Amino acid sequence: MSAVPLLGPYECNDVLAWNEGRVVTCGQFLAQIEILSGLLPERPAVINLTENRYGFLAGFAAALIRGQTTLLPPGRSPQALSQIARLYPDSYCLSDGEAGAPGLLFFSLPDLHESVPARMPIPIIPAAQTAAVVFTSGSTGEPRPNVKTWSSLTTVARHTAARLGLKAMDNISIVATVPHSHMYGLENSIMLPTQHGWGLHAGRPLFAADVRSTLAQVPPPRILVTTPLHMRACIGSALRFPELALVLSATAPLSMGMAGNAEDLFRAPVQEIYGFTEAGSVAMRRTTATAAWRLLDGLSLKQGAADCCVQADYLPGPIPLPDMITPRGAQEFVLHGRGGDVVNIGGHRASLGDLNLRLNEIEGVEDGVFFAPDERDTGNTRLIAFVVAPERSTAEILSALRNAIDPVFVPRPLYRVASLPRNDTGKLTRESLLGLVQACRARFSDGA
Amino acid sequence: MSPLETEVARLMVQTLNLDMDPAHISPDGPLFREGLGLDSIDALELSLAISRCYGYHLRSDDPDITATFSSLRALCKSIEKHRTK
Repeated sequence: MSAVPLLGPYECNDVLAWNEGRVVTCGQFLAQIEILSGLLPERPAVINLTENRYGFLAGFAAALIRGQTTLLPPGRSPQALSQIARLYPDSYCLSDGEAGAPGLLFFSLPDLHESVPARMPIPIIPAAQTAAVVFTSGSTGEPRPNVKTWSSLTTVARHTAARLGLKAMDNISIVATVPHSHMYGLENSIMLPTQHGWGLHAGRPLFAADVRSTLAQVPPPRILVTTPLHMRACIGSALRFPELALVLSATAPLSMGMAGNAEDLFRAPVQEIYGFTEAGSVAMRRTTATAAWRLLDGLSLKQGAADCCVQADYLPGPIPLPDMITPRGAQEFVLHGRGGDVVNIGGHRASLGDLNLRLNEIEGVEDGVFFAPDERDTGNTRLIAFVVAPERSTAEILSALRNAIDPVFVPRPLYRVASLPRNDTGKLTRESLLGLVQACRARFSDGA
Repeated sequence: MSPLETEVARLMVQTLNLDMDPAHISPDGPLFREGLGLDSIDALELSLAISRCYGYHLRSDDPDITATFSSLRALCKSIEKHRTK
């Protein structure tokens, strides 16, 4: 396969998106991105920070036509953007909001509401073209690039729909509560609908009432691409929601109980996706029906000396799973939880090693460590941090951290201590840190 | 603090596992970013607690939503206005 169309089988007047109360047809979209692609700066790579989902898609598609690679940073902190810009000095920022980072060429997304005569046919994109580079925060402090070819993105979209039993002609409407700039959202709120001729809503509802009103704006059959955190808010709201065809969940483990409640609330099956940035979507399960995850077509597991890897024709090589699993036959596995160094909050992953490095890089911090107090991976338990920084205030350190790391990992709380309980070899054990948490909490309640 | 502000401050500390005394939350201080350091995950958790306690469903497309989340006092005014229980 040497080339894959930019879009699935849309007719010119088929709805491709609902954007801020307006319908965008495939023909209008193609006309808009034709103009946009002509306006983009002559650079090989673009950091697409567009918040509006339709605007992001337009920028992504225009970049594909121009042969430009879309760069997706792990977070929005000025430091994260500057690091990406250092790795790709010829890149520029595309955004519908504020400029990305100082010193970076900025291109403001033009107004896409202007009506232009519809256009067809659908452009063809070389399969081997690097469509996107999705960055993860690496354990060395440098963001790690994960190259996504056009063929890998379109293959995963095809295999996802096939596993869900959905077809190109199903006229599905997609609403997503997750950002399109991370792998789960890119795959399921951008690639999945556009590769199958479906419609996507440009919004990103947050609160339960937002999810309900956004779902009501699109026709059935509807798919909600979401997370356990959002589902919990919907279930707890006691609101009544439009009937769905399907719910997709990822970013944190979903309990059987919550999956059942969500199926009742949305009158639809809940399919959980297991994946990670390096490999994309890897496996699925209907949480209420089975504990075992089934690999998507084309993927296989490979047990290495130290870890278990996943491999596929569209991946650059075997990729280690960040979680501990037990294979069950060739196509299924049971998931045991995250590996030691990885933390996951609200779907944002980071390595504790990287966070510790960033903390210790702050001027005036003599020693410091992050600590995940809760070993259960519930997705909303915040980190604690301890610092030895006699000359700096808590507020100063927190402010420096907000510039350096994804805000969800900013510790809550940050304790200033005289020293860390390092053992003879300089290591910090979980037990000693748990002891320190208790001591700090006791000190806090005495002082309060 | 008014009785409602005291109650909502306690609800926030409980819901968001904030390691602080509810009485120490400044009624007019910012809740997000440099203030209490809250983010959208907290906003979601808080919206759930508020809908359960007061029957008020927060909406992002409410033109007053930014003002509502600007401080404890503003949030309480909004709850006062929209509560159904």
